[in-house]
Amino acid sequence: MHEFSLAQSMLEVAVSEAQRVGAHHITRLKCRVGDLRQIDGQLLRDAFEVVREGTVCEGAELDVEKVRARAHCSRCERDFEVCDGDWVCAQCNGLAQLLEGGDELEIISLEAEVDS
Amino acid sequence: MKIEVVRKVLEKNDQAAQQNRRRLDELGITCFNILGGAGSGKTSLLEALLPRLKNKYCVAVLEGDLATTRDAERIAALDVPVVQILTDGGCHLNATLVQQGLSRLELVGLNLLFVENVGNPICPANFDLGEHRRIVVLSVAEGDDKPSKYPLLFKDADLIVISKCDLLEHTRFNLSAALRDIRCVNSQARVIQTDTKTLRGIDELSQWVSAEPLLGKD
Ligand SMILES: Nc1nc2c(ncn2[C@@H]2O[C@H](COP(=O)(O)OP(=O)(O)OP(=O)(O)O)[C@@H](O)[C@H]2O)c(=O)[nH]1
Ligand SMILES: [Mg+2]
Ligand SMILES: [Zn+2]
Repeated sequence: MHEFSLAQSMLEVAVSEAQRVGAHHITRLKCRVGDLRQIDGQLLRDAFEVVREGTVCEGAELDVEKVRARAHCSRCERDFEVCDGDWVCAQCNGLAQLLEGGDELEIISLEAEVDS
Repeated sequence: MKIEVVRKVLEKNDQAAQQNRRRLDELGITCFNILGGAGSGKTSLLEALLPRLKNKYCVAVLEGDLATTRDAERIAALDVPVVQILTDGGCHLNATLVQQGLSRLELVGLNLLFVENVGNPICPANFDLGEHRRIVVLSVAEGDDKPSKYPLLFKDADLIVISKCDLLEHTRFNLSAALRDIRCVNSQARVIQTDTKTLRGIDELSQWVSAEPLLGKD
């Protein structure tokens, strides 16, 4: 159940961005989450709905962009996306090796209302 | 207005972890974060390992648990300084909890610090605590499919201990399949097979720990 503490951390990042740009309201934030983190996007949004109350993010939408892990098959020199923890190369049935990435966990954009 | 940024969600934890690591570096302490599923045998490994290490090094332990001080009591029985960190329902340790734990330990003169994380194959892997090395414990009782099911846990491990190897003959745990799947997600980690009943692998484990660069550097 790490979704809740991650939603809390996302809120903290959003609040500090709001302060940085002088926004009084954040309406949307977008995060990128690698599959390896094994985070349930719906649970994350649900948790965010709870933690955003009474903050500058009140009512803000959370978009979750999932990123697949990638693996390399050394037998056919091919990179492919890993689905559901399946490390077998579809071309040669060989086992592949995890490549960098797939463990992203970051805020990549926010939509803010700023006093003019 | 739209703000484009790239900010790590766990940036606050990562900063606290860096502070911990810097502090430990200054004190010449090598820190090991021990992770694994509930009941994988983390405390048992410490119970087997610590008597060998404490003759040579000044050792202490931070015990992370959801509740109870039982693991800390097991370590204290070995006459090793230990601080229990209770997460109060939290499913993982984080760098701030470790910071608080450090403040309750006598750090001066210490060489080795082991942090036993909350038994959980998923959440703790997300949180850098400021350790120098990650030890992941996979017990034969849990099944050989765990490296594929929990890749994040295994991918950043420096050492993977396959524990309870005395149970190999009683289970359908396929050792070669487990080793193969470990290599899919982690090509570097050292793998040691242990059994705390006959103490198989414990010497090897002790040597691996003692080979850490900070040790003997004074
Ligand atoms: N057969 C066998 N049992 C073991 C071995 N090591 C540990 N156990 C048993 O496994 C159970 C759990 O061991 P612990 O050392 O408490 O496991 P843990 O990972 O510290 O557990 P938590 O901290 O609660 O997650 C106990 O009943 C141990 O006696 C081993 O090498 N062989
Ligand atoms: Mg334990
Ligand atoms: Zn292939």
